[in-house]
Amino acid sequence: MANWSPRTIAAASWLFPFVAGGVGLYGASKATTDPISLPIAATALVLASLVGVATSNSGNRFTTGLAVAAAIPFVFSGDTGVDLGGTLGAYGVGLGAVWVVRYARGEKHRDLLPMMVRRFGGYLAYAVVYSGMRVGVFSDLSGGWEDLVPFVAAVMAWLAVEVLLRAVLILGPRELSRAYLARAIIHDINVFVGLALTGALFGELFPAIGWWALPIALLPYSFAHSAFKRFQETKVTYKQTIRALARIPEVSGLAVDGHADRTTQLATSIAMEMGLGPSQVEDVEYAALMHDIGRVSLNEPNVVKMGYTDDDIARWSSEIIAESPYLKRVAEDVQQQYEPYRNPGDQEDPGVSIVSRIIKVSAAYDWKVHKDGRSPLEALEGLHAGAAYEFDPDVVASLRRLLDARGVLTPVRT
Amino acid sequence: MRLLKNSAVGRRYQRLHPSVQRKLRVAVPYFAMGILTLLVTFFLIDTPNWLIWLPFAVLFVLLEFFAVEVNDRLFQSSSIMVVMTAGVIFAIQPDSDATFAMALMAGAALFTPLDFKEKRWFQPMANFGQLALSGAAAGLLLDLNLGQLGGATTDAFVRVAVASSLASLAYVTINTILVRSAVKTVYGNDNLQPWSQMNVLIGGQVVMGLLGGLIGAAYEIAGRPSAVLVLIVAVYGIGHMSLYAFSQLRESHLSAIRGFVKTLEAKDMYTRGHTERVAYFSQMIGEELSFTGTQLETVKWAALIHDLGKLAVPTDLIRKKGRLSDEEYAQMKSHAHLVEEILAEVDFLQPMVEIASGHHSHYDGNGYGGSGHTQGETPSLEACIVAVADAFDAMTSARSYRMALSQQYALGELRKHSGAQFHPDVVDAFENGLAKTGRTWGAPHVNDEEMARRLAEEPELTLRG
Repeated sequence: MANWSPRTIAAASWLFPFVAGGVGLYGASKATTDPISLPIAATALVLASLVGVATSNSGNRFTTGLAVAAAIPFVFSGDTGVDLGGTLGAYGVGLGAVWVVRYARGEKHRDLLPMMVRRFGGYLAYAVVYSGMRVGVFSDLSGGWEDLVPFVAAVMAWLAVEVLLRAVLILGPRELSRAYLARAIIHDINVFVGLALTGALFGELFPAIGWWALPIALLPYSFAHSAFKRFQETKVTYKQTIRALARIPEVSGLAVDGHADRTTQLATSIAMEMGLGPSQVEDVEYAALMHDIGRVSLNEPNVVKMGYTDDDIARWSSEIIAESPYLKRVAEDVQQQYEPYRNPGDQEDPGVSIVSRIIKVSAAYDWKVHKDGRSPLEALEGLHAGAAYEFDPDVVASLRRLLDARGVLTPVRT
Repeated sequence: MRLLKNSAVGRRYQRLHPSVQRKLRVAVPYFAMGILTLLVTFFLIDTPNWLIWLPFAVLFVLLEFFAVEVNDRLFQSSSIMVVMTAGVIFAIQPDSDATFAMALMAGAALFTPLDFKEKRWFQPMANFGQLALSGAAAGLLLDLNLGQLGGATTDAFVRVAVASSLASLAYVTINTILVRSAVKTVYGNDNLQPWSQMNVLIGGQVVMGLLGGLIGAAYEIAGRPSAVLVLIVAVYGIGHMSLYAFSQLRESHLSAIRGFVKTLEAKDMYTRGHTERVAYFSQMIGEELSFTGTQLETVKWAALIHDLGKLAVPTDLIRKKGRLSDEEYAQMKSHAHLVEEILAEVDFLQPMVEIASGHHSHYDGNGYGGSGHTQGETPSLEACIVAVADAFDAMTSARSYRMALSQQYALGELRKHSGAQFHPDVVDAFENGLAKTGRTWGAPHVNDEEMARRLAEEPELTLRG
C-alpha cells in the first residue's frame, strides 16, 4: 500500500463508506433485534465518534465511539446469543456515516483510509469472536463471571487485528518502520482496554437499570479521557521544555541557526529507519535536541580565553542535562557524541550507544551541508570516508537509504 | 495545661525537639478524634455485613496505599469511589448502616509506603484521625438520605445521586481542611508550596464519589452480579489512572521549571540564590495580598524564570564591575525580551512568561519589558510583585561591583520609589510580610550605595598591592 498513488488511495477511500454501508445493510437485513434500535445505535455511534477525542501516547486517536461500539453486542443480545446481523448492521452503517462526516471535515484520504479500514477490521473481529463465543454456558448474560470471558477474548481479537492492520497499512514514507508502529500500538493497550471496558459496563448494566447505565459508563469514560489528555500534555510539556532549552544557544548567537532542529529531524528519521523502539527513538530525539546545549558556556570569559574542543562542549552539554531528572538518561549519550564508534583494532566500542552514533552521523552531516556548504552527496561521501573508524557504517548506510528515498543524492552539475 | 507542664509526661514533652512537639500537637488530637469517631459510631449505628465490607476495604486500602502526590504533600487516590460504593450499598440495605462502615474503612488506610520506608509515626496517626472523621461524616449523610429506602429500585437513582454528591463533598472538604491544617502546623507556611488547581482536584474527587455511589446503587439494584464487580474494579483503576496522569503532568511542569533554573545556574552560579530568594519573596507578597493557590503558584513560577533571558546575555556583562555603557545596558535590557523568545513554545509557561518579561516595567509605566510592556501603562499586579522582590534582593545581596546593602536601606529605597517605580500596595504587602517572618536580609550597617561600592573594591586593591 506504501506505493499506491494518491489517486488509488482516494478511490479506495471513496469505496470505503459503500463497503461498510453495504456490509451494514446486509447485516441489518438479517437482524433479529427490534428494528428501531438499529438506527438508534448507529446514530449514537456517529455522535460518539465526534466527541471525546483522546490521543494516545503513540499518536493514535480514540473517541467515545469505541466505547459505544463495544457496548452494541451486549445490548443486541438475548437469551439465545448475540444478534450479529444487527450488531454489524448498526456498526457498518454508522462507520460509513463517520467516514462521510470526517471527509466533510476536511480529513485527508491518506489518513482516513487506513484508520477506517483498521477500525472496521478490528470491529469485525470483535463482533464475530464475541457472538461466536456466546454459546453454551456463555449464551446468556446472567451477570456471573462467565459473562466476561467472551468479552475479554473478543477485545483481544480486536486489538490483535488493529495491530496487524496498522503494521500492514502504511501509507506514509518508508521512514516509518513497521516494527516501530507495531510497538507503538502496544502502548495504546491501556487506552483501548479502558474504552472497551466502559462499553462493557454499559452493556452489562443496561438490561438491569436501563438508561441510568449511560451516566455510569460515561463518567469513567470522562476520567479515562482526562487521563489520556494529561498523559499527552505531559509528553508535550517535556518536548516543549527540551526544545526551549535547545533554542538557547541559538538565541544567544552561539550556534548555527536551526542546527539542533535539523539534526534532530535527521537523527529521529534514521532511528526509525533502523527500526529502533519508540523509547529509543525518543532518546535519540532528546539527545539530538540537547547535543549542543553546552554552548551556553561559550559565553564564559574564561572559556573564551582558554579555548575549547568539541569534547568540551559535549561534556558541558552532558553536565547541564544531568541536572534535569527527565533528561538524565540521555546525558551519557550526549557526552559520547564525538566518540568514534569503535576502538582501534576492535569491531566496535560497546561503550558508545547507538543513540550517540546516530547523533554523531546526523550532526556531522548537517554541519557539512549547512556550515561548510557541501552538497548532500559530497557530505555523504565524507561520512563514508570516515565509516571505517569514525562513523558507524550501519548508521551511514541508513542515512544513505533515507537520502536516496528523498531523492537528494542526484549529482547536480553547476 | 499547667498540670501537664509539671507532670513527668509534661517534662518529657518539654525536652523534645520543637519539630517533634509540633507533630505531637497534631498527631495526638487527630488520633484521639479518630478513635472517638469509631467508638461513637460503633455503639450508635448498625454494623455492616462484613463479607461485603471486607473486599471493598481491601480495595480501599490498596488504592490509598498507592495514592499519588497531586500537590505539595497532598496525596489523592480514587479510593473515594470505593468507600462511596460500599457506603451506598450499606445505606440502601435495610439491615445495615453506612456511617461506622465508612469510618472504619477510611481509618484502616492509615499507612502509605513512605511511612514504612522512613519509619514515620506522625503521618499514619494524623491520617487515621482525619480519614475516620471524613468517612463518618460522609456515611452519616448517606444514612440520613438513603436509610429509609429499604431496598432500591431504579427510581432511587436521583436520590442516590444527590446523596452521593453531598456525602463526597463532605468527605473531600473535611479531608482537605484537616490535611492542610496539619501540614501547615507541622511544616510551617515557608516549607509549603502553594496548592494550585484545587477546584479541579476537589471537583474531580466529588465526581469520583458521585460515580462510586451510583455504581453502588447499580450493583445493588442489578442483584450484585459478579461480572459487574470486575468492571467496577476496572473503573476504580481508571479513576486512579486519571489522578496518576494529573500528578505526572504536574511533575513535568515542576521539572521543566527545575530544568530552566538549573541551566541558568550552570551558566552563572551567581544567580543561584537570587532566583530562589526572588521566588520566596514573591510568594510571600502574594500571600499578603491574599492570592490563592493557582495565582500564587503562577507568581512563584514566574519569579523562578524571571531571569532566564540572562542565559543569552554574555556572562562577562552580567558580572561586569562598574557602570555599564549604553550599548551594554541595551544588551542587558534585552533579557526581558529573550525570556519570551526562549519560552515561546512552552505552552504551560505562557502566563508566567508574561509576568517575567514585565519585571522591569515600572508602576508608572516607565522602565522596559517584553512585548507586553507599553510605555505609560501599569504592568500587571503579578509583574509588580516580581519587580519588588527582584529589586529588594538585588540590593540586599552582594554584586560583583558592590557589597550587599542593609535591609533598612533597601526598604527605604522601595518606599522612596513606591508609586513611581514600584506598586504601593505591593511595597506595603512586602513590608508586612517581611515583618511577620522576623528575618533580616542584607549586610547590617551598609547604608549607602557609594560605601558599598568602595567596600567591594578595597579587597581587590589590597590583592593588587
